[in-house]
Amino acid sequence: MFDLLPEWMKNGIGDDLLFWLGYFTNGKHLAWYASVQFTLTAAIVGAAFALLFGLIGATLKNSAFAPARLIGSGYTNIVRGVPDVLFFLFFPLAFEQLAELVLAQAVCTPLELASASGRWPPCADANWYLDTFQYLMLACVSLGIVYGAFTANVIHGAMRSVPHGQLEAARAFGMSPAQVAWRIHIRQMWVYALPGLSNCWLLLIKSTSLLSLLQIADIVLWAERLGAPNFTRSAGLVHPDWRWYYYLVLLIFYILLTFASEKVFAALTRRASRGMAVASAD
Amino acid sequence: MKNLIIAAAALAALTTASQAQAIRIGTEGAYAPWNFIDDSGKVAGFEIDLGNELCTRASLECTWVVNEWDTIIPNLIAGNYDAIMAGMSITDERKQTLDFSDNYFPPDPSKYVAAAGKTFDFGNLSGVRIGVQGATIQAAYAEESFRSGNTILSFETADQALADLNAGNLDLILADGSYLAEVIAGSGGSLEFVGPDVMIGGGVGVGLRKADDELEQKFNAVIAEAKRDGTLDALITKWFPDKGPGPFFE
Repeated sequence: MFDLLPEWMKNGIGDDLLFWLGYFTNGKHLAWYASVQFTLTAAIVGAAFALLFGLIGATLKNSAFAPARLIGSGYTNIVRGVPDVLFFLFFPLAFEQLAELVLAQAVCTPLELASASGRWPPCADANWYLDTFQYLMLACVSLGIVYGAFTANVIHGAMRSVPHGQLEAARAFGMSPAQVAWRIHIRQMWVYALPGLSNCWLLLIKSTSLLSLLQIADIVLWAERLGAPNFTRSAGLVHPDWRWYYYLVLLIFYILLTFASEKVFAALTRRASRGMAVASAD
Repeated sequence: MKNLIIAAAALAALTTASQAQAIRIGTEGAYAPWNFIDDSGKVAGFEIDLGNELCTRASLECTWVVNEWDTIIPNLIAGNYDAIMAGMSITDERKQTLDFSDNYFPPDPSKYVAAAGKTFDFGNLSGVRIGVQGATIQAAYAEESFRSGNTILSFETADQALADLNAGNLDLILADGSYLAEVIAGSGGSLEFVGPDVMIGGGVGVGLRKADDELEQKFNAVIAEAKRDGTLDALITKWFPDKGPGPFFE
C-alpha cells in the first residue's frame, strides 16, 4: 500500500516506520478493523431487541391479568439467572436444531426419517448451514432475550416511579387509558429508566465479545489470529505470541466505547428530563 | 408460521438442487505451510492450492471454512462443511468416525524439536515437559509412550506450543516434520531437531463423512490424476522446499 509513495516521502518516514505502517495496513489487519462492524451491529441490533423484549416484559409484569404477570416475571427471573455465555451458546444452536427438526419433517422421505437412528439431521437436505449473517442475527436475538430480561425489570421499576398524581391528572383531563399510557406514563418513565438502561447497554456491549463463539470472525477472533505466534516465513511476519498486545487494543476499544456511551446517555437524560419536576434525575 | 416453514423447506430444496456441486471444505487456518491465514486475510497454503486444484478437476464449486482444530471432526459430522483438508493424518482411530480419501501427502515422520544444545535420553525419558497440539497423532503417541514420569502439555495450535518452547516452558515438542522443517530453518539456530524420527499415521488425506461415498470417489479420482501428471509433486515441492523435487508417490 505504501510502495506507491514518492521516494522523498519514503525517506522521510524511514524504513522501520514504513514497514510497520505496511504491516498494520495489510489485508489481515484491514479485515480486523472491518470486523468492528459485527461488534457494533450486534450491540445496536441486540439493544433494539433488548428494548423490545424489555417493553413487552414490563407490560406483562404490569398486566392486570395474572397469567400474563406470571409469564413476565418468569421470563425476567429465569433469564436473568442464566449465565449469558451459556444462553448465547444455547439459543442459536437450539434454534438451528429446531429448524432442522421441522425442516426434516418436510423434506426427508419417511424411509430416511425411520432409518436415521442417531444421525443428525436425518437427511442431507434438512441440513441448515448458518452463514455469518444468520449467526449474527441469532446472536442479536440472544443478546436481546438476555438483556431484555434486565431491561424489563428496569422499565417495570421506572413505570412504578412515575408519580401517581401525574396519571390521575391525565385521567382527570379526560385522556383514554392508551393516551395516559403513551403520552404520560411511558413519556415520563424514561427519566427513571435511563440510568438503569445505560447499565444494561454497557453489559450488552461487553457481551458482544462473545460473537466469536458462534464462528463469527469478530474483533476478538481476529485479534487472536493476528496475535497468534507465527514461526513460518511463508505465512507472513515471524513473531512470538503477540496476543497480549492485540487484546490490549481491544481493551482500549471497549473503554472508548464505554466513554462514548456515557456521553450519549448523559445527552439522552438531559433530553428526557426537559420540563420534568424531577429535574436532574440521575 | 406454517407457510414460512414450507417456504424455507422449498428454498432449501431449491438451493440444494441448483447447486448440487457446491461443497464446503473445513480447514484450520493455523498450520503453515499447510493452511494459514495469509497477509491479505484469506486462507492460503499447500492444501488451499491443492484443494482448489482438485475442485476444479472434479468440477466442484468449493468454499473454505475456517474451523478450530479441536472441533474440526464433530463439525464435519454435523454438516457445517463437507470435507476436511487440514493436514489430518489418516489413522485407524479416526477412520471409526469418518472416511478418508487416498492420501495426498505421503506418510511423513513426526519429529522432536528442542532448544539448541539440549540432549535427551530418548530410550528412557523422564521428568520432561513435552508439548503437543491437542487431538493429533503426536498427542496420542506422547500420551501412550511418555505418560508416566513426564508432563504432557497439549495446546490448541502448534504455534502456541512453539511459543511456549521458545519461552522455556517446555523441553520438547513432538510434531509433524513437514510443519517443523521451515520453523527450524527460520529459527536462526535457536531450535533444532533432536532424537529419533517417529513414524506414525498413514499420510494425509481428505476427511469425509462416511455416508458421502460419491464425494470420496470424486476426490480419489482427481487425487490419482494429480499424482500421475506430477501436479501434486510440484505443489509439495513448492510448499515444502526441503522435501526436494520428488517423486513422492509410486
